[in-house]
Amino acid sequence: MTDVTPAPAGAPAGLPGSFHAALAQALPADAVLRHPADLLTYESDALVHLRQTPGAVVLPRTTAEVAAVVRLCHAHRIPFVARGHGTGLSGGALPRPDGLLISLARMTRIRHVDIDNQYVVVEPGVTNLDITKCVAPFGCYYAPDPSSQSVCSIGGNVAENSGGAHCLKYGFTVHHVLGVEAVLPDGDVIRLGGPTLDPPGLDLLGVIVGSEGTLAVVTEVTVRILRRPQAVLTLLAGFPSIDAAGEAVSAIIACGIVPAAVEMMDRLTIDAAEAAVHPNFPPSQAVLIVELDGAQIEVHELFATVEAVCGRCGAETVEIARDNTARERIWKGRKAAFAAMGRVSPNYYVQDGVVPRTRLPEVLRRIRDLERRSGLRIGNVFHAGDGNLHPLICYDEAIPGQAAHAEQVASEILQYCLDAGGSLTGEHGVGADKKGSMPKMFTADDLDTMQRLRCAFDPSAICNPGKVFPTPRLCGEVPGPYRAHPVERAGLAERF
Amino acid sequence: MTDVATVQRLEPADARELAEMLRSADDRRLAVVVRGHGTKAGWGVPAVRTDAVLSTARLQEPIEHCAGDLTVTAPAGATLAAVNAVLARDGQWLPLDPWAGGESTVGGLIATNDSGPRRHRAGAPRDLLIGVEFALVDGTTARAGGRVVKNVAGYDLGRLLCGSFGSLAVITSATFKLSPLPPASRTVAIAVPDGAALGRLIAAFAAAVLTPSAVEVALPGPRLLVRFETTETAAVQQAAHAETLAAAAGAHARVLHGADESACWHGHDAAVHHPGGVLLRLNVLPTDVAGVLAALEQRASLHGLRLHAAGRALLGCLLVHADGESAALVELIRHLRTAARPPAGHVAVLSAPAAVTHAVPVWEDLGGAAAIMRAVKAQFDPRGTLCPGGGPGGLA
Repeated sequence: MTDVTPAPAGAPAGLPGSFHAALAQALPADAVLRHPADLLTYESDALVHLRQTPGAVVLPRTTAEVAAVVRLCHAHRIPFVARGHGTGLSGGALPRPDGLLISLARMTRIRHVDIDNQYVVVEPGVTNLDITKCVAPFGCYYAPDPSSQSVCSIGGNVAENSGGAHCLKYGFTVHHVLGVEAVLPDGDVIRLGGPTLDPPGLDLLGVIVGSEGTLAVVTEVTVRILRRPQAVLTLLAGFPSIDAAGEAVSAIIACGIVPAAVEMMDRLTIDAAEAAVHPNFPPSQAVLIVELDGAQIEVHELFATVEAVCGRCGAETVEIARDNTARERIWKGRKAAFAAMGRVSPNYYVQDGVVPRTRLPEVLRRIRDLERRSGLRIGNVFHAGDGNLHPLICYDEAIPGQAAHAEQVASEILQYCLDAGGSLTGEHGVGADKKGSMPKMFTADDLDTMQRLRCAFDPSAICNPGKVFPTPRLCGEVPGPYRAHPVERAGLAERF
Repeated sequence: MTDVATVQRLEPADARELAEMLRSADDRRLAVVVRGHGTKAGWGVPAVRTDAVLSTARLQEPIEHCAGDLTVTAPAGATLAAVNAVLARDGQWLPLDPWAGGESTVGGLIATNDSGPRRHRAGAPRDLLIGVEFALVDGTTARAGGRVVKNVAGYDLGRLLCGSFGSLAVITSATFKLSPLPPASRTVAIAVPDGAALGRLIAAFAAAVLTPSAVEVALPGPRLLVRFETTETAAVQQAAHAETLAAAAGAHARVLHGADESACWHGHDAAVHHPGGVLLRLNVLPTDVAGVLAALEQRASLHGLRLHAAGRALLGCLLVHADGESAALVELIRHLRTAARPPAGHVAVLSAPAAVTHAVPVWEDLGGAAAIMRAVKAQFDPRGTLCPGGGPGGLA
């Protein structure tokens, strides 16, 4: 068993010279970064308060180069972390000083496009939005749309099982990835799935998606693309309270309608968005964005119901986007919400938690109480259709202790989500950020069982170690719970 | 071979007892095969040894429907029909229509990842499962996922169990996301003159702006069944649009609803359910569907095989039933495997007489992923207690 726990303070960190020499042999000189100034960029992903300098960074251009690097790591027992474009919000790509960071940013080729069979094969560094751009001329698009879609990589989406505003109807990355080519932690290259469905054997593709880079390094992704719906209708409604807006969402779902998206923003986030991108939102306590898509006739019929429901639930204003410009303006207001918080607060902490949709009012009440108690403003912007909350906790790092206070508030909100039967994370992932909270959601047996999968893929624990799980499982152990010794079973001895 | 008379029957009443029985069997090195309602018990490769059959029939905790959240949690032993009866009270359903329909159990649905025509829009069990509870052979009970539709905390072991044929763990309960029951339905039944017209029609439906819930192709025929499940007005209008697409391809179409529509789908589902013969699952690219079916028909008539096929035209998933001389059936499977090679396609033998399975492999080749799949099996079931040799791809 190799010890991959972080080196104790004061101990020399970094990578052994023999490993550096082997890297230099395996890759072209411009694909290896070692100088401290070059490593700075890679110290964190978008969760910037978690930082470490990697031992070195490699920028492979091909699957063969990735495999060569991983084989070296395996031979030298060097931990490695794969990174896409660094937009992750859970520290999943947080490097380690004693490890190698593998950036897939140079693998940006679109390898194959098949419009008739509705799939595209891409390298992991291709951005989410570039997939849509390349098939848009054919009336197609790639459905998952995380807010960072113009900059995030498809490889990162696969690692995090990214969602987006439209996953209520269209699902997550896992529903749209048909196959991957992946480098296993020993350097072997495998293919799982492909353009035809029901690949043979176990569904390892289904678990690699969302494994946060802890099982393999994905070097190629086959994604399903969809035809653009015939009609898309978007509505922006202002409500006198969050509760009234929440009631409207329940009523829409009770009518048997599954909208393509239902987003909610509260007053604080509306103000922030207005200050930043001027989407012309109404000055209400809460706004709801509801989008329906599909066949023209169906969308128009159901949209009338949605409009009526909003009215019945006390909407103060209802704006219907009649064209693409109006629709894009509304979505710009929503998608800019996170970044816009910078306009109303020097710093903010983005939380990601999930509650069963019907428990939203209760959890939001608890968040409002917490806001009063903590003295920190909390903005709420969320995917109301699926109960995915993104509370934004405002703080000022110039005030001593406030950053830590904000973190505590964020973690208390997570507890509310779990109390309501929800989840620690709906789309940002566990990463380094929430691994300590995993035992609040799962039993030791649950986590241990998950780690059996990890042991099958990565028995040497070198593939993004220290993420997702609070404590690593030693893969050499005999799996399973305590078993009585035969002597105990025979009643000859007891264990205390 | 297993002596049937000595096979134990285990019928645990709950998850705890099930885990205990598994642990005890594992300790005694007994080979355990898990069974729901047995609707697909003959699929794949039988276990090389069966000392005990573990039935989920008594796992019947109440079905918990959270209508406002569009989720349901059901025990492994509940049938799909029982689950959907509960959901229907609030106008919702689990939109799966697997082989043997409502008689399939929740556990069996997941273990086989089986689906039917509605997979076109609704997906397979793997796409709808959001949480799962299960027991391991060492007596551990564990959970993955949760009860909310959006959740990325921890490994999604539920997906790993989908299609694992009871080879890794025993599912005890599951949570699914649901859909509202559609208020209206229309089916356009299209008699297609020939294979070339079928290819054109499949392409036309792939490019159309319609939102069908199923697009099925069937042999003999060929026939296409295109179903619209939505509001009354939208179903009628879309069906009319589908009729014009059919007419443009020179095919004759009829719009069905009510009893005629139900009878049509009943007949379609029954078309590949025949005793004897071989049942194959073909996965090909959608653009190859028409060609593959035409080649199949030609081969069947040449070798005197009785042939039926039904499948998802725009997903390229086909079920083919063929009956005739064993040697001709073996040749048919070999031929299909040469024609539909990965990544453009693959062929699994779901059920077949011994004379056929002795001559051709039942499962597709696992390729380079075989070793990692074996490693996963070894982690979850180190002694090979669960369904030995009967896992997908013949995992031991």
